[in-house]
Amino acid sequence: MNRRTKTVLAAALAGALLLGTAGAAYAFQADAAASLRASGQVGEQADGYLGVVGSAPSAVRAQVDSVNIKRRAYYTDLAAKRGAKIEEVAATTACELLRTKVAPGQFYRGTDGTWQKRDGSAAVPLPGYCG
Amino acid sequence: MRRAKLLLLAPALISTAGCVSVSAPDKPIEINLNINIRQEVVVRLQEDVRELIEKNPGVF
Repeated sequence: MNRRTKTVLAAALAGALLLGTAGAAYAFQADAAASLRASGQVGEQADGYLGVVGSAPSAVRAQVDSVNIKRRAYYTDLAAKRGAKIEEVAATTACELLRTKVAPGQFYRGTDGTWQKRDGSAAVPLPGYCG
Repeated sequence: MRRAKLLLLAPALISTAGCVSVSAPDKPIEINLNINIRQEVVVRLQEDVRELIEKNPGVF
């Protein structure tokens, strides 16, 4: 194997690795959070993150982690822009998500830490600080 | 020869570094039951948060 062949091989390897990374990023579903909530295994929490209800398969946990990592990044970014704490941005988002994204029959976890199923058309009770 | 080996190794190292950065958050994300937030802070951030949710339907 001469030097040029090795350089070409290295370039090919780098290309393949890059493609692999791009493929993984693309695999993130456009409606990941909504379908997780609809699965009944995942719910919205008062801390602004998704949580696993009971014992869910590791694949579900991995998806929840993936969404939460992205949320954390967005919260961090917005907190820096507005001079707020990450927890404040997260809690404000939780108010909004609990109000608009939890459908009847789906799960939510309030500040008391217990999982509740939204009952019919009754509104999800919001933490006191929600405006 | 030695340089060629280095060339082979470099992309592998870069890619590993990239993977590590997205594999897990620094701290486990746990529900904080002692959320102590003033309502005025929530009101101030509300518009930005609504926009954030609208623009990122997969994450929210």
